[in-house]
Amino acid sequence: MAIQPALSQFLTRRAFFGRTAAGIGTAALASLLNDRLFAGGTLDALHFAPKAKHVIYLFMSGGPSHIDLFDYKPALKSHHGEELPASIRMGQRVTGMTSGQKSFPCVAPMFEFKQHGQCGAWVSELLPNVAEIVDDVAIVKSLHTEAINHDPATTYIMTGAQQPGRPSVGGWLSYGIGSENENLPAFLVMISQGSGNKTDQPIFSRLWGSGFLPTQHQGVRLHSGHDPVLYLSDPPGIDRTTRRRMLDGVGDLNRLAAESFGDPEINTRIAQYEMAYRMQASVPELTDLSQETQDTLDAYGIDDKGTDGGFARNCLLARRMVERGVRFVQLMHRGWDQHGGLPTQIRGQCRDVDRPSAALVADLKARGLLDETLVVWGGEFGRTVYSQGQLTKDNYGRDHHGRCFTMWFAGGGIKPGISYGETDDYCYNIVRDGVHIHDLNATLLHCLGIDHTRLTFRFQGRDFRLTDVHGEVVKPLLA
Amino acid sequence: MRRMFSGACLLLLAATVGGAAESTQTGRAIDFNRDIRPILSNNCFKCHGPDAGERKAGLRLDVRDHALRAADSGTLAIVPGKPDESELVRRVFAHDDDQMPPADSNKRLTDAEKALLKEWIAAGVPWQEHWSFIAPRRPALPSVTRADWPRNAIDRFIVARIEAEKLSPSPAADRQILARRLSLDLTGLPPTPDEVDAFANDGAADAYERLVDRLLESPRFGERMAQEWLDAARFADTNGYHIDNGRDMSLWRAWVIDACNRNMPFDEFTVEQLAGDLLPNPTRDQLIASGFNRNHMINFEGGAIPEEYHTAYIVDRVNTTGTVWLGLTVACTQCHDHKYDPLTQKEFYQLFAFFNNVPENGLDGRQGNSEPLIKVPTPEGQQKLAELAEAIAALERELDAPNDTLDAAQAEWEKGMAGGTDSDQKDGKKGPPKPVREALAAPAESRTDGQRATLRRHFREHVNSELKPRFETLGKLRAQQAQVDKAIPTAMVMREMPAPRDTFLLVRGQYDKHGEKVTAGVPAFLPPLPDGRAANRLGLARWLVAPEHPLTARVIVNRYWQMLFGTGLVKTAEDFGSQGERPSHPELLDWLATEFRESGWNVKHLLRLMVTSATYRQSSVTTEASLQADPENRLLARMSRLRLPAEAIRDQALAAGGLLDGRIGGLSVSPYQPPGLWEELMSREDGANWTAQVYIQSHGIDLYRRTMYTFWKRTSPPPTLSTFDAPDREVCTVRRARTNTPLQALILLNDPTYLEAARKLAERLLGHPGTTDERLALAFRLVLARLPNDREANVMRRVVEEQRATFRADHDAALKLLSVGESPRDERFEPAELAAWATAASVLLNLDEAITRN
Repeated sequence: MAIQPALSQFLTRRAFFGRTAAGIGTAALASLLNDRLFAGGTLDALHFAPKAKHVIYLFMSGGPSHIDLFDYKPALKSHHGEELPASIRMGQRVTGMTSGQKSFPCVAPMFEFKQHGQCGAWVSELLPNVAEIVDDVAIVKSLHTEAINHDPATTYIMTGAQQPGRPSVGGWLSYGIGSENENLPAFLVMISQGSGNKTDQPIFSRLWGSGFLPTQHQGVRLHSGHDPVLYLSDPPGIDRTTRRRMLDGVGDLNRLAAESFGDPEINTRIAQYEMAYRMQASVPELTDLSQETQDTLDAYGIDDKGTDGGFARNCLLARRMVERGVRFVQLMHRGWDQHGGLPTQIRGQCRDVDRPSAALVADLKARGLLDETLVVWGGEFGRTVYSQGQLTKDNYGRDHHGRCFTMWFAGGGIKPGISYGETDDYCYNIVRDGVHIHDLNATLLHCLGIDHTRLTFRFQGRDFRLTDVHGEVVKPLLA
Repeated sequence: MRRMFSGACLLLLAATVGGAAESTQTGRAIDFNRDIRPILSNNCFKCHGPDAGERKAGLRLDVRDHALRAADSGTLAIVPGKPDESELVRRVFAHDDDQMPPADSNKRLTDAEKALLKEWIAAGVPWQEHWSFIAPRRPALPSVTRADWPRNAIDRFIVARIEAEKLSPSPAADRQILARRLSLDLTGLPPTPDEVDAFANDGAADAYERLVDRLLESPRFGERMAQEWLDAARFADTNGYHIDNGRDMSLWRAWVIDACNRNMPFDEFTVEQLAGDLLPNPTRDQLIASGFNRNHMINFEGGAIPEEYHTAYIVDRVNTTGTVWLGLTVACTQCHDHKYDPLTQKEFYQLFAFFNNVPENGLDGRQGNSEPLIKVPTPEGQQKLAELAEAIAALERELDAPNDTLDAAQAEWEKGMAGGTDSDQKDGKKGPPKPVREALAAPAESRTDGQRATLRRHFREHVNSELKPRFETLGKLRAQQAQVDKAIPTAMVMREMPAPRDTFLLVRGQYDKHGEKVTAGVPAFLPPLPDGRAANRLGLARWLVAPEHPLTARVIVNRYWQMLFGTGLVKTAEDFGSQGERPSHPELLDWLATEFRESGWNVKHLLRLMVTSATYRQSSVTTEASLQADPENRLLARMSRLRLPAEAIRDQALAAGGLLDGRIGGLSVSPYQPPGLWEELMSREDGANWTAQVYIQSHGIDLYRRTMYTFWKRTSPPPTLSTFDAPDREVCTVRRARTNTPLQALILLNDPTYLEAARKLAERLLGHPGTTDERLALAFRLVLARLPNDREANVMRRVVEEQRATFRADHDAALKLLSVGESPRDERFEPAELAAWATAASVLLNLDEAITRN
């Protein structure tokens, strides 16, 4: 089909995806030029050469304790049981759950820490497998956020704002650079239930939402069981041949309508139905682990007993997704909110994630995918050094803490084997190289070849971006 | 009179525009609002605009007087008539570090924009106030060449522009298409075949107008209009945020439907929803209406700080009011002065003060509806309560009535108690309660009536056992009364506290950083509150609909235009400010705004004007030429084809299958939804403490209610609706996207809702005596409101034959397919035949044309 120059100019990918409520099917014409309907984003070109093509975000919902896992402070032992000095707390606001507490006793972790790898990173005994991959990982101990409760904090780190309404990180990437696979969505989400704590915090679809971006950029939730993607399976009584014939009828009639109405949107519809048909094969192929070796399944710790809440299986699926060109894979592992009973709960949580997380990084590396895949591990905030509730010999709890927390990163453009940022002896305040969550998001986009100040969407008269008006790329983290 | 006005207006315009030299860039005289303001706003205002806090170099370019003053450096950015002496020109043409806008702004002027700025300065810096801040005046109707094309004023404006662009309007669409277009647009439901026939065969000259009137009077009209309003009002069935438990604002929703059906004038509609509680002697309905501003999310996360969320609710009310009525992005001023529009941060908090006097707490979202609320019993409930109250009163009279035997026994008992009225008796039994002891202690002759009653009741209920069964009955009645009372529906409403809260400017928008104290007021660049109006919500509401207000009428007519034509005359329906898009037809927008206001804010009148226009009646057939000339169809030389809203897609399928339940209003319902969607997100061990954590699917006719009644959980909205671009309702939305994705195809192909609708549609077809072709014709009419052409009929015959062969060969497959959905299968029909037709029906429900309004 010949497209006039003026028209084809109109049909840049910007026009395609930037369009929201316009009535005419520019998307359709673009699709005639390029049938990769999931592919393609709004950016005409990346801002610089990308290090990463994909992101796997292992989100630890609830806020893992940086103190008990990564941020080792030998001096804390000597403060164990002591009141947190006012010089450290500095009148900082605390949540409604501990604001009425009379005493704020410091708690040293009851877990052993050792140095690991060439880099000598300190890791808690709770994460023996993650300890094995520290030379491939950058541990950042100086993340910080203003939010101190789950709803605003998760919304903040995943969307760049504490109040609902903004697009999620994956939504921005879908909008910006789309997918590499024409048969799979750019942005997939999987949820697993932590075994350490069942009084877990609710999560929300806005954490993978499209906010004010067009809705096709919202993350597609993958489910275990019959329909990995909602409504993917043909209904009972309809086999593939029947479906194909039925779709041929739909296609034939749609083509006749395209002839009589001339609306290119109809051609897009035709292509989307074909895509849906292909997805009915591509998604089950994606989620079918029967082609994986037993060694691989063992490495991830997939035992089919579900004791990990599904996290291990999701990690392996994440690798399969990036192999197939999915841009952004978001795993939500729940149960990290240890207000009380921390020692028991965190053991369970770590048992869920330690082995699969490490196996994922190792597996990506072995397959040559780690260079182009950025793996992110962490939650919405850290936890307080002081005990929530009574501190006993073998039990304590920790409240939410936004002033510092730890995340780790691996692969795609990140310098391996380093530790970045430093907190005080109480793991309470940052003393060096703070990384705000806007900086984290700026850096994440940078690894994908995107200048975070230039991936924007005009809404309510303003060019919105993931990092709002903030964010600095953390250069020392880059390889 | 009108003509004089517009004449004066034009003169004024000419005077302000100044030099009328043609631009080399546009070939027309420079028009500041059209040509220059967008360049300045988009590229310069961020640092040289209304936000004093961010202003650089002391240069302000959004106000002419300021723009002509020397900057901090002493240089003049703009010297009227002298571009060569204007620093602005030098800087925008610079290629070194002096370049404006600077490289790190990610803004870049095109050569044409630079040239325009230069020409504008050369022309003497003509200036206009931002167009939407000047009250609309009714413009004169433009003259047009095609004098017989226009049917009303709208068409004059549209065709004048079409002619100016050397295009031609499209012919009228045929009657079948018009019947379906009108029915879907005005009622959200497809027309029945009989309705289409009646219109197609109506030879009267006013057949179309009568169809319009019938649809405007349909009770479905109110539902359709309410559906749009629910997005704007961020209506939902849960409290949002964290736990996101259930609430029930269905009474407010029913009020909206009813108000739309009664064609309540839009100014009243506004006042009752923003301040119904402040009207003199407000009716129950007016109180319910005020719930508009309680539809926002309400939190109660365990560790949250109440003030933080209380502040968030009020901010939401300000932002929502700003978007819905003002079409302004006031949200930008929560933290700082506006970057583009003349709105200050202080003015944000002056608006905030209007909404800050509600007796509410920050973390009220714990159990359903929260205070302030009113109880709204149903007539049946009210009657039941009255009956119970009467039964209780009668029984109490009976229990207190004089009774010689009992009274004598009581006297004996009192004697026995004399002197022994310790709280606990010696044998360890608990003594009588304090009021009884006191009554006993008093000398019999000096006891009050109350004490006498207390003693009598105590004796009969607790000492003597003769009346025990009667007292048990009383207890049951009271329990029943409490139960009925608890089940009374409530509605969250607005209410003012006796003493208003203090309002402060919040530094950087943070709830705990109080700045200066402020009082309620409206932005200075807009008209003042009308004389005599108090600075409260009622005053604010009346101000919004005051005749001199420049924004409200424009913003509202624009959204109705958007609903019918797909895109607003101002495409950025949520932003009429400096960064918003200029109207495609400014005079038409003003004409409609003044007409709307002068008609008494008559919504049905406005809609009737729009849908009876020749513009609206045009065919939507697109040619390659028309697509190239106007890809987005902003000029409306054809009608736009619009994919239906999520709600209409499902409603239409239910209607075609004969399943649609027609009840209006009432509680939200929970149709089919894949299992586990909510449960995967809720707190596993805490979930049982809250409502709306576990999806409890409805059954029976509640499965087939109109989609606008579907239970809307904000943190996990109905997936079939959000996939078709319905918002999550966390915040106000006035413009939905219209996407086209494979996930939509999967829903229409595989969601039990659509499979069941297809089966019921097939049962309708098979119940219709006739040939295959006749049944196919009926199927087309039920889904597409038209007959198939030969080629289409061929395709459908092939589908039916193929599927018939398939299902005859596999009887089990047929039975399986027909088992989808809870409605029973009509066993009169042979399963293979029914399954074949169900698949054919499914083909139709999946067509682009089916989910599109032509």
